[in-house]
Amino acid sequence: MFEPMTDVVPSFFAWLNQGPLTLTIFLHTVIILPMFWIYKQEKTRLEKES
Amino acid sequence: MANNHLTGIGSESKQLATWYFTFAAILFGAQLLFGLVAAIQYVMPGFLFELLDFSVARMLHINALVVWMVFAMFGSVYWLLPDETGIETIGIKIGKLLYWVFVAAIVVVVLVYLFVQVGPADETSIWFIHEGREYIEAPRWADFGIVVVALGFVANLFLTGTAGNRSGIVTVLMADMIAFAGLYLAGMFFTDNISVDQYWWWWVIHLWVEATWEVYVGAIAAYGLITMIGAHRKVVEMWLWIEVAMLFGSGILGIGHHYFWIGTPEYWWEIGALFSALEPLPLVAMFIHVLYDWGKTQGAQDATGVEVSVINNKPAFTWFVLNAFGNFLGAGIWGFFHTLPQVNLYTHGTQFTSAHGHLAFFGAYATILIGMMYIAVQGTNGIKVMKHTKSSLWAVSMICGGVMGMTVALTVAGYVQVLVSRAQMGATWAGYFDGQSGMWFAQAMDWRLVMGAVTFLGFLFLAKDLLSTGKNPVHER
Amino acid sequence: MAKTSVWSDNRFWQRSAGWITGFAAVLLIWLTFDTAGQIAMGTDEDLKNGVTKRVPGPTVINYKITYEMSDKRGHEVPYIGGNDGKGGSLFQEKQKFFGRDDYSEEEAAALLHLGKLGSQTKNCMNCHTLLGNGAYYAPDLTKAWLDPAWQDDGTMQAMTGKSTKEEAMAEFLQHPSTYPTHARMMPDLGITAEEAKGLVAFLKHMSSIDTNGFPRNFGKIRGAVNGK
Repeated sequence: MFEPMTDVVPSFFAWLNQGPLTLTIFLHTVIILPMFWIYKQEKTRLEKES
Repeated sequence: MANNHLTGIGSESKQLATWYFTFAAILFGAQLLFGLVAAIQYVMPGFLFELLDFSVARMLHINALVVWMVFAMFGSVYWLLPDETGIETIGIKIGKLLYWVFVAAIVVVVLVYLFVQVGPADETSIWFIHEGREYIEAPRWADFGIVVVALGFVANLFLTGTAGNRSGIVTVLMADMIAFAGLYLAGMFFTDNISVDQYWWWWVIHLWVEATWEVYVGAIAAYGLITMIGAHRKVVEMWLWIEVAMLFGSGILGIGHHYFWIGTPEYWWEIGALFSALEPLPLVAMFIHVLYDWGKTQGAQDATGVEVSVINNKPAFTWFVLNAFGNFLGAGIWGFFHTLPQVNLYTHGTQFTSAHGHLAFFGAYATILIGMMYIAVQGTNGIKVMKHTKSSLWAVSMICGGVMGMTVALTVAGYVQVLVSRAQMGATWAGYFDGQSGMWFAQAMDWRLVMGAVTFLGFLFLAKDLLSTGKNPVHER
Repeated sequence: MAKTSVWSDNRFWQRSAGWITGFAAVLLIWLTFDTAGQIAMGTDEDLKNGVTKRVPGPTVINYKITYEMSDKRGHEVPYIGGNDGKGGSLFQEKQKFFGRDDYSEEEAAALLHLGKLGSQTKNCMNCHTLLGNGAYYAPDLTKAWLDPAWQDDGTMQAMTGKSTKEEAMAEFLQHPSTYPTHARMMPDLGITAEEAKGLVAFLKHMSSIDTNGFPRNFGKIRGAVNGK
């Protein structure tokens, strides 16, 4: 399942780099996900205010 | 009429802004002049050989570029602060003093570049002549001067922002300018390890022009829309926050596209490719945003039955719209062309980069800063509705046409370099000169020179217009 | 029910902007620590023990450097002191640099220091590119040390009348306009003999940096004319 690292020095980010896009999709997801939580909080706030 | 508060008379902050704009415009002219020298040298290699070599001309060309933009950026903030916060800028006396320190430092640095040019390979040269690192060549002593001036500027901004009305625009500027000033520190050290050197060097260059400067442009565009066409502040500031999220979200890790080939690990290929591939998105958003707000406010005006333009400063607004488009085209499209590693492997270090650099710096920054200069002319002369003059129209068309022409020419030259020097010849010395002597390359360089001259003529019109239009009776007062 | 949508709410976007910016910045700092460890300069010890570093120590100037395809990496990589046949450097084969292949760590580091200072004070980067960054008025210097033109049968070495490439390069650097190769010439930058030696050491060191295969196919195509 896991590809051997091609990078010279093993590191966490090199390990995430499993094939096309794995590393970058992971990072993008981690950045976007908490926005759902912010969205929910703000929705509750707006509902309270109205 | 969108704004009636746009009067610079009596505000010391606005007076300081005009000083900044004036020196910025002078440096803009110097940038174009030294650019012309460098462009001539591509066509006639003997031109000023061993008097004012390409390396010196180009160093002056790009340093004048960076510094005039920083001057105009500081100036723009000093201009908008009283409008946004509702109070006079705090510590403006120090701001004025630092302005003269900054100008004096720049003059000394330029004179040393011009007349000393190179020094022996020792630390003294790094401290007193130049650091030889593209874009941030300023000698170490000047680095410290720049830091002091930048800190003074940031202090002005923070004190005023916290004491007065801290609008969304001011909040973004405060966060952005502290990062902008702080990042300069990443370029102020010497190391024998060139990979480490370039790693940090990009922290300054990339995180300036592809992150903090872009956010700055977003804030200035927001201010312009509110003051020039009376766009709704809440809408404009919402767009601004979206732009900040998208610009920093893509731009900060987009730095990875500079870490493909400088000795840094392979994982940067993915990070750099995919984050920087998203960098055009906020620029599309900014473009839509400007046009949308313009259409919306004009539509609302037309609906009242009185058909007048909502724009109270035609030349400035022209430059702002050109900014929205030029940013997308120059930074977005021309940047995306060569941001993926499989393309960049061949385009890295060719005229492609140069083409992108010309259109991006112009489209993203020069345009909006020229627009701010027009806003200042309007404000200081108490003009209600500022109109185009013949000179302002000639300036817009010649500068835009010239820069676009240079960009296309350099792109063609870049193709030749990529195909001949890189793909076919494997980037050697011989391969390099094979590419340079190709007919397409040589012709492209001729066209670049012609278009550079057109740009310079356009600048002369711009300078004439900025100096004279304030007194022109065509404007409504 | 809220009448206003969250999507048109300024606070939502302000908080999102704050989160995204902050987290991206934290990631960049984390990545910077990771990268800084990987691009820190190696030592003489590393070279002697066969430890591959992305940026080898200065004593790499004692070794022969080549730039060959690595099947494992899928691109060219610098090999130091020979190819072990398994995708790694052998760290065995030496190569004399100005007549010596026994520079101590201090001597080599001093040369590299002088060369790096020279590369900046002589403003190399405003005509050439180094690691692909700089100006485009003159050839890229990333792998200049390995350029066929400077090798024993190369045109540049022949032109300077020297018998080794390091001497040829140093001679050219000191008197560039004496050896014009094209209408576009390198100007005389007042480079001294010692500075030239440092600059050549800097170039040799730079050619040993693992640049992930940039430039591609460097020097592989010999004798090609106009790309044919």
